[in-house]
Amino acid sequence: MDEYLTDGYSEPCAQCAAVDWGVSNEGQFFCKNCYNVTEKMREVTDEFTLYIKNSRISRIAKPMKTEKKCAREWMVCEGFQVVLKCQADALVSLGVCLQFKTEVLWNFWTRYLQNTRQAFVSNPISTVDQNSESESETESVVCSEYSFWNGAPSEAGEVKDSGSSTGGRSGSLDALSYSHRVDRKTYNVMTMPRTLALCYLALLWVREAITLADLLRLVKERHVPYLNIHDNFPEDMKLFGRDSLIFRVDSIPSYSTVHKEAVDLAQVMKLPAFPMVSQDCLLHPIPLTVRYLLESNLPDGLLVWVHKVIDEASMGDDSFLTFDPVKQKPALVCYDIQAAAVIIVTMKLLFKLDDRVEWTSSGKAASEKKKKVFNVERWYKVMQPAFERARQKMEREEARQLWKSHKPFITSLKDKSLVFKKRRVVNHLQHRFQKLTDSTPEQQCFTTTAFSSFHFHWGKEQGSDGPSLHQHRLHCTFKKKGVKRLTNRKYWHTVLSVCPPTCSNHFSEIEASLPRMYVWLLDLFSFLLGVSQAQVHKEVLNVERCLMERELLSVSKETPSPKKRTKKPRKI
Amino acid sequence: MDDIEAELKIDSPGNETTNQEIIKNPLHIEAPSKYYETGFHRSSRKCLKVIRDAMLHHNWQKAAEYFTSYIQTLEDTTVTSAHLTRDVIWRLGAEILHHLANASIDDFNAVYEIMKHAGVSNYAKICLEHAFHLLLNGQSDEAKRQLSSASHWRYGKLTDAQSLEMKLIHAYCGFLDYFIWSNKISTTPETEDVSSLQEISMYFRQASVTLQEIITRPGIWDPFVLSYITMLEHNNSLDEALKVLQNYAYNKDFPSNPNAHVYLYQFLKRHNAPQSALISSLRILHSAVPSHKLMLEFCSLLLKKHQDTALKEALCACMDLLEFSSWKCDRDAWKCLLKILQRPKNEHNMVKEEWAVRRSLWMAFHFRPYIIKTESQKDVRLWRIKERVLKLLGEDLHIEDTRKSPSGQRDRHHNASEDNVDGDSRRGPARNSNSSFKRDESKAAREGNAAGLRDRLTDFTHRKRPINTLNSTGQLVPVGFIPDV
Repeated sequence: MDEYLTDGYSEPCAQCAAVDWGVSNEGQFFCKNCYNVTEKMREVTDEFTLYIKNSRISRIAKPMKTEKKCAREWMVCEGFQVVLKCQADALVSLGVCLQFKTEVLWNFWTRYLQNTRQAFVSNPISTVDQNSESESETESVVCSEYSFWNGAPSEAGEVKDSGSSTGGRSGSLDALSYSHRVDRKTYNVMTMPRTLALCYLALLWVREAITLADLLRLVKERHVPYLNIHDNFPEDMKLFGRDSLIFRVDSIPSYSTVHKEAVDLAQVMKLPAFPMVSQDCLLHPIPLTVRYLLESNLPDGLLVWVHKVIDEASMGDDSFLTFDPVKQKPALVCYDIQAAAVIIVTMKLLFKLDDRVEWTSSGKAASEKKKKVFNVERWYKVMQPAFERARQKMEREEARQLWKSHKPFITSLKDKSLVFKKRRVVNHLQHRFQKLTDSTPEQQCFTTTAFSSFHFHWGKEQGSDGPSLHQHRLHCTFKKKGVKRLTNRKYWHTVLSVCPPTCSNHFSEIEASLPRMYVWLLDLFSFLLGVSQAQVHKEVLNVERCLMERELLSVSKETPSPKKRTKKPRKI
Repeated sequence: MDDIEAELKIDSPGNETTNQEIIKNPLHIEAPSKYYETGFHRSSRKCLKVIRDAMLHHNWQKAAEYFTSYIQTLEDTTVTSAHLTRDVIWRLGAEILHHLANASIDDFNAVYEIMKHAGVSNYAKICLEHAFHLLLNGQSDEAKRQLSSASHWRYGKLTDAQSLEMKLIHAYCGFLDYFIWSNKISTTPETEDVSSLQEISMYFRQASVTLQEIITRPGIWDPFVLSYITMLEHNNSLDEALKVLQNYAYNKDFPSNPNAHVYLYQFLKRHNAPQSALISSLRILHSAVPSHKLMLEFCSLLLKKHQDTALKEALCACMDLLEFSSWKCDRDAWKCLLKILQRPKNEHNMVKEEWAVRRSLWMAFHFRPYIIKTESQKDVRLWRIKERVLKLLGEDLHIEDTRKSPSGQRDRHHNASEDNVDGDSRRGPARNSNSSFKRDESKAAREGNAAGLRDRLTDFTHRKRPINTLNSTGQLVPVGFIPDV
């Protein structure tokens, strides 16, 4: 209604520079953003005079609301800026420090634009000009002439457009060159997965406790906007045509993709070494393992052993954990997967996990009639049903997830009516069936439920997944000649030699030969982190390699470290 | 109809392609191993799987819930075969609605309307199904309205691509005209009111024009032919009706259809046609379906002719009939055979020849000791007839069966026999595997044909919602109103 009244008045407000006008009852314009009232009055005189002049009015026409007036020219990187802002706002509202948004992410973004010479430099690569050189003549004409989508394009545009199926036009100025670049890698153009990578880097910089797995889960559960991001675009930024190729999202990027993009981006932005990941930072394996032990209902006593493994593998070092893009081969540690891998290695160390020892030793522990003694069998029996339930719930949610927005993308003018028609059809059908089933689609369910970083809740309260085993004592050592020894004397592992980078993972090949308990554990943690089993397995191998290196080092130095456990690596 | 251009360019026309396409690229339910799958596609694939499982378990509420989410696949921009998705959504939606307890007729109408216009490549098919649904709910007027509006539907090339369905829509329009006409005739007898008479004659005219046109095209048009014949009989134009029926039965362009001969015979019988005409129409039916129940009438007609050839034909027909397991214990058929054998003119040679060919099968099929025993206990009258038949055929039962005489009661409790079990299932005769004489093969083929036909008919008549199918020769088989043959 207000747009009608304000008649497309698009002067920015003198006080806050926003273009958001309303009309008061007296007909005076005021800024809806800062409530600054201007002297501009609504022009109503025209209609009155018209009315007086020819007392017969056939039709009071609404002021023509041309798209030209409310759409403005914008560049693709502006679009990404909006995306990043939305994501940063969401993260801040979830409790991330404000510094993340105001300082770090903004700095990263400007740095990125500078380094890719898109903006904030004296000689930016003009994407629009670039395009006219590289693209065919007609298309560039179309692009520059009809650079923004207007509701009633002239005939010439239509004729030119009718040849190509997708249409050369877009809402933004440079979408064509953005999506058409022959080598997108060398230009380092922004992509939707990269916005997440950028957010992750910024989170890492401020040492927030949000791991990459958490971030992706936030995205999946729509607490951080990513899907249908164009719903959040301001009114005057129209997305059209090729923009859909850039901003449309039909899957959530995988952990490894975002991780890789983050490393790439850090190099592109030429970032300095990141702040230390020390023990007080929640990304350090020690606090992270506490979190995953809690999540997986393992006893607190395991923590001592986890610490020992971290120490032995020298994984608690700041230098090992801190990300430094300046290095020759920058390695960004997957903190969350690594913590899970440490727990798995510890479990292997204490219970062997070869489908035999863990069950028999748990039988021993039970026979000792000490009530609160941890045993693997009981843990498995508590864990497995809860895990299965959670997995099924996840499957259900995935099957019912809604991907399409209420504001459909229009890829070309020709398809416009068809796209809207499809949208209408879908809406109608969904309403019909919703009425019949009284169900709400999953999208609403996601957003209404509060986010919890835990999948499971253990304890005696209502709604918990099962009894808590945190307080159970570990019973896995015995004393012999005054020396504490582990009851489990042996350790197994798969081939530890490092494959060349061209080699993909071998997990699928060896999966069948691995002990089931180990695979189940991989399964559990890969579910918790939302990654593949192969990734967790790879990280387990990394931890084992670290342990082995230490061992070999100590052997070569011939300084027998005071070890309590004997390890006999065995290949299977 | 604002998007004709867009629709036309996106949809590849043709329903025939749809079926092939489904076979070529079915909607995947299992995870693809070769190519990357987007999250959206994974969601819809999993959703479809859940819907399928829910439907198979008759969990319709759950299916409807997931279907609500599945509808979004209509907006899929990457699928090239968009009409396949629409097809799936239409079929799933209609099926789920049929089983939801709280679905009203409004929901049906709305969903059908939406789907009709969502992708017009299936417009005619959906219209037909909509009309059938209305008919099942007793809303014949509404169905008529639907069909007549659908018959005027034009959408460029897409109408031509659906010519088959359009033809059917046309045919059912005529059929419903006939339906209304016959209702009016029966409810308002002998009115003098001019306007109502005019209305009746209008429906008559519309129906007769449409039906006449439809049934000249090759295809199986049973209900349409019957209604047209009724109208012609009402109008007393018997010659015309006979011509139509003869064309329907004897025209080589039409697919073979036993019902056509049945209708012709029934018509001839109704109008007191000469015996020879009746016999010749039944003779063709005999060659097509030797197990048809009209074969008994055929035999009795032949017996009236008092000719040797006729007698022989009757003997063959009757024995053919009895070789089908559904007729095996039919007393009338055995009586008929007895009558033929008792004919005084009965030439011994003829019976002997026939019997020599069939003996091994018949002894195993009808006169096995176990069958004799159970029959003599359960159905003595039938057994007596069979005994007399056997005697007339010149066989001595007691030579084979002295010990296990019919009065033997040792195995009375043991009466579950496979021969009795398949007495009801109307299949081909249970054949002895050793009997491998020549005529066996031709008969087997015939039986297969007959059995297949019968299965088809029973299947279609039991079907809840009629669907039009193509038969193996690619001709029209409109079903759904096939009367019990």
